Amino acid sequence: MLTEREIVSTLEMVKNEHLDVRTVTLGLSLFDCAGDELGTVRRRIAERIRRPAERLVSVCDRIGQKYGIPVVNKRIAVSPIAVVAAAFGAPEMVEIARTLDAAAREVRVDFIGGFSALVEKGIARGDRALIEAIPEALASTERVCASVNVASTRSGINMDAVLRMGEVIKAAAERTRERDGIACTKLCVFANIPEDIPFMAGAYLGVGEADAVINVGVSGPGVVRKAIDRALAEQPGLDLGGLSEIIKKTAYKVTRVGELIGREVAEALGIPFGVVDLSLAPTPQVGDSVGEILQSLGLLAIGVPGSTAALALLNDAVKKGGAFASSRVGGLSGAFVPVSEDVNIAEAARSGILGLEKLEALTSVCSVGLDMVALPGDTPAETLAAIIADEMAIGVINQKAAAARLIPVPGKQAGEQAVFGGLLGQTTIIPVNRGSAENLFVRRGGLIPAPIHSLRN
Amino acid sequence: MKKAILSVLGRDRPGIVAAVARGLLELDCNIENVSQAMLQTEFAGIFLVAMPESVTLRRLEATLAARLEPLGLQIVAKPCASAAEEETPPPSEPFVITSRGPDRKGLVAHVSEVIARHGVNITRLQAVFKGGSQPGDNLMIFEVDVPEAVDAGALRRELNAAAEQLGLEINLQHRFIFETLHRI
Repeated sequence: MLTEREIVSTLEMVKNEHLDVRTVTLGLSLFDCAGDELGTVRRRIAERIRRPAERLVSVCDRIGQKYGIPVVNKRIAVSPIAVVAAAFGAPEMVEIARTLDAAAREVRVDFIGGFSALVEKGIARGDRALIEAIPEALASTERVCASVNVASTRSGINMDAVLRMGEVIKAAAERTRERDGIACTKLCVFANIPEDIPFMAGAYLGVGEADAVINVGVSGPGVVRKAIDRALAEQPGLDLGGLSEIIKKTAYKVTRVGELIGREVAEALGIPFGVVDLSLAPTPQVGDSVGEILQSLGLLAIGVPGSTAALALLNDAVKKGGAFASSRVGGLSGAFVPVSEDVNIAEAARSGILGLEKLEALTSVCSVGLDMVALPGDTPAETLAAIIADEMAIGVINQKAAAARLIPVPGKQAGEQAVFGGLLGQTTIIPVNRGSAENLFVRRGGLIPAPIHSLRN
Repeated sequence: MKKAILSVLGRDRPGIVAAVARGLLELDCNIENVSQAMLQTEFAGIFLVAMPESVTLRRLEATLAARLEPLGLQIVAKPCASAAEEETPPPSEPFVITSRGPDRKGLVAHVSEVIARHGVNITRLQAVFKGGSQPGDNLMIFEVDVPEAVDAGALRRELNAAAEQLGLEINLQHRFIFETLHRI
């Protein structure tokens, strides 16, 4: 027998607190599409995607409707194209990106990830071609997402790759100058990239995965915030231990919903279920914000002293609640702080409360990194590389995923507005401390060795 | 063993269930199922009992009435088919239909007629109308079994049409979502 309270609380979570499944992502291995004749490889890739993916959107919509929980985005993640298409040069890689884009459009998914390379220890021929192709591939496609893993706790930081990515980001921004460098919003530079992320732009299908898999990304910042507000209204003296319990319980609920929907979609498509990524992923809607959660915990805004501790509490409680809810947890699983995609964080950046340095500190305790950060257009490639290197160091030393999604907005300065639209949102460009100074450190190249705690065997 | 179904209605007070149960025990009847509900100050209980062949329905009713009428309670008894005689219901999935919106006459009638038209059985209904236009104050919860043969899309469309006509927000959701969210 269901209680009135259970029913009303479920309705509230869906209608007023933005409870949804943020993404169902179909992972597809493309390794059997490899070859050295471009036309054949493109045809194989298109066919390989079409068959399992053509029902993805309709199945997600039907199951979302059955439970009254919307599946907001349906996406595809494929094997790293640098490996699949290792035989080709950069121009052919761009053609393959267009094939992916067309396949995504045909099956009506909004993003397809996996235009990716793994270069934490060294750059192979296919990797070099793919990285060279990234600016044109992202500028000439709409739905393709790229990621490059340049560092890992086991291997250290490939500083040659880091510097190269600084240049690639500059070039990608320049090619989409008229849209505030939107190509860079589809490019993540990673340390310790997980093989099963369902969220973009970092989703790709790892080499250790099966032919096809369904991974799910939940949402829930709005639900967590309202749960905190309700608890404090009932019990104003609740301490942080008590609030952590509230977040845990809420994360449990959100995760259960994700797993229920994911498993049913997987069953309907005849594809194995992979993981639930329990990240708190904000959207540009008011009431669906990670920044607002920090305010509910008692801070003026994200970025003031106390923010790192509050985010650490939040991130940890989300993981604990989610881990209890599901034994198939993966991906990034924590809180995201994507500046332009969260109106509250974007406002903190606009008002100067949140700067690049504090943002970097926050990323040491949450799951992603410097995400959707708009920087002045004249920031040199080597400064971008240095910012990336700092973020990679946080990931490598803390044995966690860390990423940089930086957008040097062409022709714009700190304080001006960068507008990407839709889920990508908009934000104020934030300054880089001594951004134009020469940076010999990143130009030295080579490998920053793996930390001592990589020696675990 | 033959079976009977009893309904007991009246103003709530301590001792109603005890009086019914004692009366049944004295007649050597066995209670198989009980469900009781309270709406504001009123008590309603239904008791499904197995009774010896020697006890007639009339005697059962008269014995219990003698005990319960002084308490201001009314009792009705009728024979009940045994489980073996019942038709097996068609295979179905449990859904929950909820509606919220301003109070007005005819809400239950309109929505339940749509449900009935599709051959969907209501297994449990809770409805609270505090009046006024606060959506949270006026709530209907129909727990229903939707036969697999029923076109759920058509049911959903008709419910949405009724919702629009009545100014309600109506949702049709598989029951499992509520259990998944709230229960370990």
